[in-house]
Amino acid sequence: MSVPAARTDAAPVLAAEGLTVRFGRRTALTKVTLAIPRGRVVSIIGPSASGKTTLLRAFNRLNELTPGVVTAGTVRFNGVDLHHEGVDPVEVRRRIGMVFQQATLFPRSIFDNVAFGPRASGYAGDLQELAEEVLTAVGLWSDVAEDLDAPALELSTGQRQRLCIARTLALKPEVLLLDEPASALDSAATARIESLIHALKRDYTIVLATHGRRQAARLSDLTAYLAGGELVEYGPTETLFTNPGDPRTESYLTGRIP
Amino acid sequence: MNAPPRRRDLLGIACGVAALAVMAAFLLLAVFLLGEARPVANPGFLLDMPSRLADRAGVGPALAGTLWLAFLTAALALPVGVGTAIYLEEYAPRNRLAALVGSALASLAGVPSVVYGVAGLALFVRGLGMGPGILAGGCTLAALALPGVIVTSRASIRSVPEGVRLAAYSLGATRWQVVRGEVLPAAAPGIVAGSCLAFTRTVGEAAPLLVLGAVSFMTFAPRGPGDPLTSLPTQIFAWTTRSEQDFAALAAGAAVALLLVLLVLNLAALAVRRRLRGASR
Repeated sequence: MSVPAARTDAAPVLAAEGLTVRFGRRTALTKVTLAIPRGRVVSIIGPSASGKTTLLRAFNRLNELTPGVVTAGTVRFNGVDLHHEGVDPVEVRRRIGMVFQQATLFPRSIFDNVAFGPRASGYAGDLQELAEEVLTAVGLWSDVAEDLDAPALELSTGQRQRLCIARTLALKPEVLLLDEPASALDSAATARIESLIHALKRDYTIVLATHGRRQAARLSDLTAYLAGGELVEYGPTETLFTNPGDPRTESYLTGRIP
Repeated sequence: MNAPPRRRDLLGIACGVAALAVMAAFLLLAVFLLGEARPVANPGFLLDMPSRLADRAGVGPALAGTLWLAFLTAALALPVGVGTAIYLEEYAPRNRLAALVGSALASLAGVPSVVYGVAGLALFVRGLGMGPGILAGGCTLAALALPGVIVTSRASIRSVPEGVRLAAYSLGATRWQVVRGEVLPAAAPGIVAGSCLAFTRTVGEAAPLLVLGAVSFMTFAPRGPGDPLTSLPTQIFAWTTRSEQDFAALAAGAAVALLLVLLVLNLAALAVRRRLRGASR
């Protein structure tokens, strides 16, 4: 059984229902229920170790690579239970792209990095064309067009992270999971990533984990506040920021909880 | 660390002295060995057969035997060892059984080589009916090298940054693509270096081969795994047990030949490692 393509626009792309994730004795997420609507940017905010990364990795079944992980509850992608035995995690990861906090490029050329995903899935089209398309989308094409064979690790930190995003876009995913993509960058590079996320909004559903409260407010339609592995509050970004329903959310937003 | 500069200089001097002492020891060893081996320093020595007459004896069969053993050991221990390491690190579930296998392998690396000889005699020579030939010797030496190859290969595989695996998996790579395309190339230089160390130690072993029944007086050079077992280390041992002075020179000559073989093997491993480093960059 494979996950069907997008059904109706109204149905959520991703949905966690009573999701609990434990690593050995440590519980990272407790009974989290939330739905990611199609075509929106959803921010997951919360202090460090609040479960943001675990929630993101539950959406593309990356948690299961960690030894000793136990998952309970369900995660649905286009309505299908991701942990159903017929679902291939490799296919899921091809359709739900992820970008990490640290830009982990392969120690090869820029082109090889972009081509990694398409090659792994046996992409039949023109890789050159695809590379130009995705590198243009992240605003890197004019910088690297001259020398796509240059080692990817020679790029600046900001450029590396944009290359990581381009590499993910090359999979033509439906969803982008961005795990604190700008937290290792300086303010200029962060601004570029933010305007990029803003532009990508038109074509992708985006889930953005961030500890930057202002970043969440600037970029997202919906915001979820996680604390200690529990979903404290989830709603439209504007409401959550101006009129939080839970006192814990308010103390986090006003900076009383770091 | 922020040790005051003077202290650091003293430490530097102490380490320098230690390094010099080691180099001097090796130099002395080489000089004495070459001095001892001088009487047999002629090209025929490497090809001639052993003889009761010291001035006619050579290491031909022993050299050929060691080359065959080296080849068999590498051909058996490297694929099996690296394969086991990959399985344990990337595929096996992380449970108690896996942990038990891991620590068992680590302790096997500490089992004395003569014990492997006894086990090889029971298993390969008698149990599987191989007889005391080159094949049984190669199998025994491969078993001796295996734990070392596995332990060092596992360490190299584990040292590949987790971020590389996560990035590859998140881009829709299958487990095989991740292992073959990312983990192995990154771990390969370490695997080669570690395996080479385990392997060269093994090729210099005499004890397990003596237990298996190595021959020290062969009139022809072994041409394949089916021929009788002989090797440089066992030949050295045989010659050092003779009382005549001339045979001491032969033993020294054979020792120099063994060192040359190991040097060539190490240089080959170094070249392979260089190429792998270059390829992964």
